[in-house]
Amino acid sequence: MEAAPGDQGAQGRHQDRAGPAAVLLDGRRIVSCLILAAQCDGREVTTVEGLADHPVQEAFCRHDALQCGFCTPGQVMSAVSLLAEGRAGTDAEIREFMSGNLCRCGAYPNIVAAIREVAGR
Amino acid sequence: MTFEYVRAGDLAEAVALVSGDPDAAYLAGGTTQLDLMLKDGILKPARLVDIGRLPLRGIARDGDRLRVGALTTMEELAADPTVAERVPFVRVALLAGASTQLRNMATIGGNLLQRTRCRYFRDPAVPACNKRAPVRAAPRWPARRGCTRSSARASTASHYTPPTSACR
Repeated sequence: MEAAPGDQGAQGRHQDRAGPAAVLLDGRRIVSCLILAAQCDGREVTTVEGLADHPVQEAFCRHDALQCGFCTPGQVMSAVSLLAEGRAGTDAEIREFMSGNLCRCGAYPNIVAAIREVAGR
Repeated sequence: MTFEYVRAGDLAEAVALVSGDPDAAYLAGGTTQLDLMLKDGILKPARLVDIGRLPLRGIARDGDRLRVGALTTMEELAADPTVAERVPFVRVALLAGASTQLRNMATIGGNLLQRTRCRYFRDPAVPACNKRAPVRAAPRWPARRGCTRSSARASTASHYTPPTSACR
């Protein structure tokens, strides 16, 4: 949201092509850079700070699924939602439904591996 | 940029607030409206009327018709069992667009009302966009430098396309 600390909106230029602003709104993944705080009044917002040692976070560490870390909050939030959506059945499905989260460092293989592991495959 | 934010209590209020005021705009999913306002800086409404909580959602089968509420999101429509069974191409088309994050915000009504995709319209550095700032005289061609930069954008036309009076 426009009022979120750290202003994640600064990274997602032009209709969020990158995805680092992914957060959960009422349990669904959205991008905070294209929503006003006022629109979230009375609703439940979960940012990466709201996860406490989530299996996805642990798997990201184990699989070295980041380099600079810029995209990581968005990757983690998106992956948490992906798993809840039941869309980690195959690597192809993971890649397709994580396609809104870009990683300039190219950590994709390790991101997919981390998600695959948490999905239990 | 400052603007007034109003959450419409009902449809009539929303229409009254926006119809009578050329400086007011609707806010639904926000993926276009806020993009053009806050990121591109080319829309500057003085008042934003949030219609996001109005009862305009829902997907209902009515004989051979599917009634889709304007605020239904792309993800909601793609996930609908009737869509998957009877018009699967709609689901395929929806899931091919944007990202899950954006599909959870973008509304079907907003999709139909999608603003102009032209890069000249969306680029605040191009001052002579005839749609954003209509001129009564013949359309003015942007400077060479501006055109060249727009032509080089990966996501748009590969050749120079000047704005014409058709952009009105």
